[in-house]
Amino acid sequence: MLHCRIVRSPVPHARIAGTDLAAARAAPGVHAVVTGDDIRRRGGAALRFGPVLHDQPVLALDVVRYAGEPVAAVVAETVEAAEEAAAAVEIDYEPLPAVFDACAAIADGAPRLFDAAPEVDPSFVDVTVHGDLAHNVCSRFRVVHGDAERALDRADHVFEHRFRSPAAQHVPLETHACVAAWQGDRHLTVHSGTQTPFILRAQLAAMFAIPCSQVRVVVPAIGGGFGAKAYATIEPLAALLARTTRRPVRLHLTREEEFLTVTKHAMDVTLRTGVTRDGMLVARHAVGLYNAGAYAVISPRKIIFGGYGINGPYAVPAAFHEMLAVYTNTPPAGAYRGFAINQCAWAYESQMDIIAHALGMDPYELRMRNLLQDGDAFCTGEVMGGMHFAELLDRVASASGYRTRQRSDDGDVARGVGLSCVIEGTITPSTSTAVVKLDADGSVSVVTGSVELGQGAHKALGAIAASELGVARSVVSVAEVDTDVSPYDQQTTASRTVSTMGRAVAMACADVAGQLVALGAPMLDTSLEVVAEDGRVQVKQDPARSVDYAEVVRRAGVGNVLGRGSVRTEGGLDPDTGQGVASDHWHQSAAAAEVEVDRRTGRVRLVSYRGAVYAGRVVDPDGAALQCEGSLAFGVGNALMEEMVFDDGQLVNGTLADYMLPSLADLPADRSFEVLADPEPGAEAHGLGEPLLPPVAPAIANAVFDAVGVRLHDLPLSAERVLRALRGPGDQATADPR
Amino acid sequence: MTEAVALEVNGVRRHLQVDTRTRLLDVLRDVFEVSSVRDGCGVGVCGACTVLVDGTAVSSCLALAALCDGSTVCTAESLGALGDGDPVVRAFVDARAFQCGYCTPGIVVALRGLLDARPSPSRAELESWLSGHLCRCGSYARIVDAAERAAGSSSGENAR
Repeated sequence: MLHCRIVRSPVPHARIAGTDLAAARAAPGVHAVVTGDDIRRRGGAALRFGPVLHDQPVLALDVVRYAGEPVAAVVAETVEAAEEAAAAVEIDYEPLPAVFDACAAIADGAPRLFDAAPEVDPSFVDVTVHGDLAHNVCSRFRVVHGDAERALDRADHVFEHRFRSPAAQHVPLETHACVAAWQGDRHLTVHSGTQTPFILRAQLAAMFAIPCSQVRVVVPAIGGGFGAKAYATIEPLAALLARTTRRPVRLHLTREEEFLTVTKHAMDVTLRTGVTRDGMLVARHAVGLYNAGAYAVISPRKIIFGGYGINGPYAVPAAFHEMLAVYTNTPPAGAYRGFAINQCAWAYESQMDIIAHALGMDPYELRMRNLLQDGDAFCTGEVMGGMHFAELLDRVASASGYRTRQRSDDGDVARGVGLSCVIEGTITPSTSTAVVKLDADGSVSVVTGSVELGQGAHKALGAIAASELGVARSVVSVAEVDTDVSPYDQQTTASRTVSTMGRAVAMACADVAGQLVALGAPMLDTSLEVVAEDGRVQVKQDPARSVDYAEVVRRAGVGNVLGRGSVRTEGGLDPDTGQGVASDHWHQSAAAAEVEVDRRTGRVRLVSYRGAVYAGRVVDPDGAALQCEGSLAFGVGNALMEEMVFDDGQLVNGTLADYMLPSLADLPADRSFEVLADPEPGAEAHGLGEPLLPPVAPAIANAVFDAVGVRLHDLPLSAERVLRALRGPGDQATADPR
Repeated sequence: MTEAVALEVNGVRRHLQVDTRTRLLDVLRDVFEVSSVRDGCGVGVCGACTVLVDGTAVSSCLALAALCDGSTVCTAESLGALGDGDPVVRAFVDARAFQCGYCTPGIVVALRGLLDARPSPSRAELESWLSGHLCRCGSYARIVDAAERAAGSSSGENAR
């Protein structure tokens, strides 16, 4: 096995004027030094990849578009040898004007990142790309419902505010890693920490023009994902280098490289929200820019989620939402836990409190008056069902003592409580398939493409199979993900696994049960109804007459029983109006945060936290509790400390010594979560990986306002920002005088 | 430039020639094939590379192998199998004090080191000791609970 080190662009936008690889190629232990030019000359592999748009070069071609972009790769016997040689690579750059901010990038005359429209991959059926490369627009999505302008004209009050979220990092503790190896010229095996094995397989197959069946992606349990490991990232390069050197190649990013590989979208949105004088929302006009960075990745889908997500969990009769994904000379932004919704919730939940205070209403009351209920129409036109927002908000308000709270303030340190409520969708339509295998000893294998990334997917799927088949959990195993063996799953993101794959596994179990009945009934010599339950094929009316599963399989001589399940959720949105069905089911959550603000330092301390989420049928209560805790920890980071800081396109805080993450000391001892479960036996299971995250930041911001009367529009709520706000001008609200 | 170094890792003793720039982390992973020691940040902040060197918790990403001549290193692998191993390991499994598990070995090893030196820490001391470990999955609450549990069983009934 050989090792790879990447040479990265030191500048954010430049033409590659020349390369001198001689010294690097001659360095000890080096097998190859490759540039984009080499790939182009050699042929036999696509030059660019990307899940939706094939715009990202494996290695930069002629131009670099962000500081940190891979320009050359060294493959050597050891990582150290590769590093030494990488330092000897010489590349000349001719700097080009660069742009880093999405607002600046869409302006006329801004530096352009792309001249030619990239190829669109047809496999993302829920995504249509509306690009405008002259303005660095990767794609645009609109939701048009009713006549928002007219409704705003007639509203008693119109509130206009701008909110911004910075670029941030996922920080899975395990950085991106993969090993690529070829068997001959036409079979590729990649071991990777990917969240999307089948999409990755398709991307690699297309890249090398080989059938999918000749590409094998193997995924063990991985050290966190959070969206960073969705879609091809480092695998195309590793696969290419493995082909060039005819040896297996390992690529494992350092943490510093991780910062330069994929990010959370910075976002900038202006909300104009119309309300009646007694607090009914009548319209929302939103224009938002998602900073895609230098390459599209999944931005075209992100703005769809943002397009409907900016509505919030409220019944708003008229909407015009326009979301743009904008190219800038910064590292590519990708999928991120909370997928577009963190940024939306930051904006609309902050604004809800601003509106409440302006109208002299309690923020709780304003929300209760407007929260979506069954039968309400969403901004996409779909009629909502299974709405639990009111109950969720009520629970956190009660649990936090919100209504009876005594505000405490000794002049220096003040306490306050804030609320938030968030809606999030899941990828729709989407497909999951599963195979369940019952062996001759009665043990069970669950074979799926769902990746275990710490969320407890395998535990949950195993629990579902054990429950459906009525066998002990200890005899159920969940197979490692291997595209040679696992049936198709779309992707392990969007909190869709427990729900969609869970259903596929249940279906596969029902298929196994049906076959067991067919095989076992003759063994029971009965004309009465036979069922497969609790590990035995039995006469329904006389369970003592039964044969256990193992015996059925053995006596039937079939070796094993294979069950299949396939679930495809329906829906999708019109590419021009955003009308249709946005989500198969809705993630719903609420939060109440109590903070302490020290006026002398601006420091915000989270004192207590109440979270509530709708879970449907809870498959793994322990796992659910862990998601609650985990989302809070993650959210505290995003709310109080995390941001990628750039100086002229150079990342300034690209290490964990400079990019702050929450430790256990940043979490309040006083915290609790309610997981609202549906007691119906057949109720749908909802994923919990994301829903509890978006409410954290706005709840904290609303609590800060409650405590010290300061409203911040930009994240994070660092001590410095709070202090400046305490000392400077106050709220930027503009309420229409009407 | 290389240096001769004698290292005992989890009971296995080896004599090596190491480049003076090589980190203890890399020697553990590449030479001793210990995969529980992880490079989460490379700057000594995350704690995923924590090992015990002569009984003291050390960030192996900041330790130079060449300066560890004659040392005894203990990693999570030496703490026994999940089912019947060290009380710290058992406490973490019983409490399900992890999600992806990547940060877990570093925390377990650090705790083992703490409890060896200080058998009856208070919860506050445990929290302080563990605050130098990052867990992005956010299992912090359970990690502290598991640590308390381990501290209790390590030092007997009347521990605290």
